[in-house]
Amino acid sequence: MSFIQVENVYKYFEDKCVSNNISLEIPEGEIFGLLGPNGAGKTTLIRMLATITTPDKGKISLNNQPLNSNHSSMIGYMPEERGLYKKMSVVDQLLFFAELKGYSHTQAKQEVKYWMNKLDIVSWADKKMEELSKGMAQKIQFISTILHKPKFLILDEPFSGFDPVNADMVKDLIISLKNEGTTILFSTHRMDNIEELCDQLAIIHNGEKILDGKINTIRQQFFNHEYILEFTNNNIEDIETANNQFDIIQTQINSFGRKEITFKLKENQSPQELYKQYSQSNAIIGFKEKMPTIHQIFVNQVTSKN
Amino acid sequence: MRNIWVILKREYLTRIKNKTFIIMTFLAPILITAFYGGAIYFATKGAEDNTQKTIYLSSNNALVQKIDRKFNNYEFINEPNIPPGGTVVLDKINSDIEQGKVNGWLIISDQDLSNLDSTELIVKEAFSVNQKNTINEFLKSQITRQILKAKGISQSMLDSAQVKGGISMIEENESGQMENSSSELKSGVGFIMAFIIYFFIFMYGSMVMRSAMEEKTNRIVEVIISSVKPFQLMFGKILGVALVGLTQFFAWILLSLVFVLGIGKYLSSGIQMPQNMPQGSMNNQQAIQSMMNQNDLIGHLQSLPYAQIIVVFLLFFLGGYLLYSSVFAAIGAAVNQETDVQQFMLPVSLPLVFGLIIAQSVVFQAPNGHLAKVFSMIPLTSPVVMAVRVPFGISWSEIFTSAAILYLTFFIMVWISAKIYRIGILMYGKKPTWKDFAKWIRQS
Repeated sequence: MSFIQVENVYKYFEDKCVSNNISLEIPEGEIFGLLGPNGAGKTTLIRMLATITTPDKGKISLNNQPLNSNHSSMIGYMPEERGLYKKMSVVDQLLFFAELKGYSHTQAKQEVKYWMNKLDIVSWADKKMEELSKGMAQKIQFISTILHKPKFLILDEPFSGFDPVNADMVKDLIISLKNEGTTILFSTHRMDNIEELCDQLAIIHNGEKILDGKINTIRQQFFNHEYILEFTNNNIEDIETANNQFDIIQTQINSFGRKEITFKLKENQSPQELYKQYSQSNAIIGFKEKMPTIHQIFVNQVTSKN
Repeated sequence: MRNIWVILKREYLTRIKNKTFIIMTFLAPILITAFYGGAIYFATKGAEDNTQKTIYLSSNNALVQKIDRKFNNYEFINEPNIPPGGTVVLDKINSDIEQGKVNGWLIISDQDLSNLDSTELIVKEAFSVNQKNTINEFLKSQITRQILKAKGISQSMLDSAQVKGGISMIEENESGQMENSSSELKSGVGFIMAFIIYFFIFMYGSMVMRSAMEEKTNRIVEVIISSVKPFQLMFGKILGVALVGLTQFFAWILLSLVFVLGIGKYLSSGIQMPQNMPQGSMNNQQAIQSMMNQNDLIGHLQSLPYAQIIVVFLLFFLGGYLLYSSVFAAIGAAVNQETDVQQFMLPVSLPLVFGLIIAQSVVFQAPNGHLAKVFSMIPLTSPVVMAVRVPFGISWSEIFTSAAILYLTFFIMVWISAKIYRIGILMYGKKPTWKDFAKWIRQS
């Protein structure tokens, strides 16, 4: 069942249509990747989902109820361009955000204490934000976003500014939130993160949704019937002459000094036939489908629409 | 409502805990007193030119020769080359003036002294307006005396006809009793109040603006308005800063009370001393005189309409602040950097500056005149103009009409500002223009 439903949403800025008939469904407890080049209209869509703005046409619902500002306590939002009050202490800052999300002062205090202990930052409590490093500030920002246990979490480029260690920590947190049932919308330009974390994705371009679906289904959909064979010896010519019925589209020596040949099968050819042909004459040590990466699909889709 | 409270609380507490706030609360009264005390001192005393001025006096009118030759720091002496009563031929500037031996040469060539139009003062360095007026007044009174003397009125008669002192005003107070009234005191109280209101509106109005700007430039605002409506954010901010202002104001009142009570205690222990002195001594007379003056001042102070003063001050202080700060908040939300602020601040703050100028003219000329009444009803000027008028007594109906207009305008303004705020706060990049503001108001 979809937790978030976006139905035929339009948003205009002056005469420009920045969201053009967008529909999305984000299932409960899943991580949904939102992709798109700069200026595609991601922020506009995210702002509507974060109840900052409302659609000019169409509707958005959360848990089958029309989304409105009363839902804000169920939503956690970490924008791409983010910041905190420089002159406020870490603990005051976190208390403020928790209270904004509807927590009482006592509740907020408990929650702040819990998270500071969990992330081992108790010693920062009375430090002012301006005294913290960028990475530390990002950590506080992340806590402030999830402190109130949101049911729907919107993360716009959550890893920017983190070093690899902290990025992994945040990644683990995101996964554990997902496991607890949080629905997460995740927007980024880093495709490896999308493949690693997301269950589904949508690509937005010029205000329109050009592609959406489950990650694996999409990758399969763009599968080009290409297979890679890996050989132990690197006598390329031998293999190329031996081949008389399969199209070779790429030949290369990989970083281990092994030969990798990419074949593209015709409609009447099967991967089993391909394997059979080479397994007799050559020392094959690898045979795999060449699935397109999300990166390739994204670049392909966006450039073809330009 | 709860959201406004959370915003208000943050805005209030972070400011109250701020070191600058605490220091300013204690230091500002001292600094302000020192600043204005100094300014007033130099304006009245420091600029005065008390150096001795010697001026040649020439006239072929015999009456003029008899006038007093010395007053204050001026001395009139005859031009050495012209015999008394001789006619002056002015072909070139006198070399004594040129060399700075004398400051000027007063030539009275009128025969009919009832009109001094042909009288000239030749100088090398121009005298100030005050100096010119002083000489003019002195000449006129001296010549009047000489004319009267020439008509046979004796010196003693002239002295006895010299009028001293001035008018005292008595007015009916609210309970129908007649009381002493002092325009000077009322002007002073009114002007101080107007100035405090003016000062607070700017000080705390710009605090609201900077706060809105901080949230925008530090990119905090996007997270906040995903939890509260922009209007709640703006309103909570305005109210929070208003409370900071009131806290600071009451702290100052408390500090002043402690200060005044301390001085009062010191003074009262000083006044008891002369009472133990023998009757009729000079000291005792002075003490009685000073006590009478003190009673006068107390009487004047008692004649002030305190209920109205307090109501007007609070009502218009708050109303003026709310009106201006809602505009300042919108400006803070719209701009991207401090340097863009000026172009919007100037036209917005001009009405208030204008109000203070009107207040000055009102207080010295006609506190209940036409001009005063008109500007008391215009919401952009009424906070300062009403404050300056209230010690002179204004009808309650006028106070409430003006306040109603002020607060109604505030509600309209906050509604318009909220629209600018809502859109402006998420607009980054290009510097906004007045045209953008108009567009944003129409858009939402």
